[in-house]
Amino acid sequence: MTATDEELVARSIAGDTDSFNQLILRWERPIYALAYRQIGREDDARDVSQEAFLRAFRALPGFKGQAKFSSWLYRITLNLCRDWMRRERRAPFVQPPEGVDVADLVSAELSPTESMEDVIGRKDLGRHVAKAMSALPEEQRSAILLKEYHGLTFQEIAELQGCPLSTVKTRLYQGLTVLRRELERSGVKPALPAGGSS
Amino acid sequence: MSVERFCGDSDVLMSYLYDEGDQATRQAFEAHLASCAACAREVDGLRGVRSGLAAWTPPETVLDFQIVRRPAAAPARRPAWFAIPALPVWAQFAAASLVVGVAVGISGLEVRYDASGMTVRAGWTKPAAVPVQVQAAADGKAVPAAAVPAPRQAGVQRAGSAAAADEAPWRAEFAALEQRVMQQARQQNGAGARQASLGAGPAMSDDAYLAKVRELISASESRQQRELAMRLTQVVRDFDTQRRGDLARVANGFGALEGRTGAAVAQQRELLNYLVRVSQTQK
Repeated sequence: MTATDEELVARSIAGDTDSFNQLILRWERPIYALAYRQIGREDDARDVSQEAFLRAFRALPGFKGQAKFSSWLYRITLNLCRDWMRRERRAPFVQPPEGVDVADLVSAELSPTESMEDVIGRKDLGRHVAKAMSALPEEQRSAILLKEYHGLTFQEIAELQGCPLSTVKTRLYQGLTVLRRELERSGVKPALPAGGSS
Repeated sequence: MSVERFCGDSDVLMSYLYDEGDQATRQAFEAHLASCAACAREVDGLRGVRSGLAAWTPPETVLDFQIVRRPAAAPARRPAWFAIPALPVWAQFAAASLVVGVAVGISGLEVRYDASGMTVRAGWTKPAAVPVQVQAAADGKAVPAAAVPAPRQAGVQRAGSAAAADEAPWRAEFAALEQRVMQQARQQNGAGARQASLGAGPAMSDDAYLAKVRELISASESRQQRELAMRLTQVVRDFDTQRRGDLARVANGFGALEGRTGAAVAQQRELLNYLVRVSQTQK
């Protein structure tokens, strides 16, 4: 039976390093993804993720379980990303468009239900989204990231950002509205999900 | 519920879009969408943005983070004698008795017990100025202070018949003291007391004594084996952790190298991709 985060946290606090390494294994991908989408650089995102786990490990005795471990970890990561952006004195960096590797498309990216054109279109859309996201204020970007990619509830985001729930909804609405405008300006029209039209 | 109430209400719109919050309000908003084209368009537009967000994925990378505890710092160098393992209680007591005995022998300690209480005097102690009544061991009569020999003289006298007479109470006192210390040691240390009785037990035979010693040695050996196994496990684990970390670093290094060398090729591939896209568009 897989141990819960809370159980692993309790064992880690008791001095079991292996339990904390299990937590790392469980959360390293989401944390890296959050850091990457916040700061936009692969190497820096990896460094920030590593630092986030290190800080969490050091601060673990002070973690009283008042929030979920994942929320606590997200908060540490976002703080580190903020520090990184202040230190670098720049907005999130958008990496130059990657060359689409045809061989890669055939071997890995191209799923049976997706044509090569679809894959190229998805990559293009992803780049436009990244660019549009980099233009958002940090609070709006964080709210969208936590909601869209990490599935946090409004309440969890509110606790993490230290603001009222209504503020979270406002940030989400404003951020999505700006994204919509930016994407339309770029000539990108994302397809609606199946059955999404009202 | 009025239709206009929902128009421009971002709070309700977000609850509806993310299917979170009060269900009745969301159902009311859904009913509102059927009659409000502007809100319906907005919902569609935001849903489109949400589907577009799914296209943004972070690049694959090797993470493999691990917390690795460094081995504890080596303790400060201690003198060789400090490295001697802790002795059992009975051995400590035997050593202490030996030290006390030697010290008593060297100092010419004189212990007396009389009506005025217990008197302990070292051989080099100057005689007290105040006369002291000392009970003679031989006849039990009190003798004047002037008859008490000086410490140096006492040392000489112990070799004679009078000193032999004094030895009996000294030994009795010392034996009583020894018994008291033994008793205290037994009370203070349960397991240790058992070992202490081994050294002091007068009724224990040689065979029983040997069996006891063998038992102690066997217990010590098994404890050392357990410690050795534990340390070996720790070493193996540290080695494995280090090896995995090194492998991850090597993999990262190769990945970075491939990224650099592939940069030149990337432009040509991009051109090729462009051609693929153009050719598919013309079809």
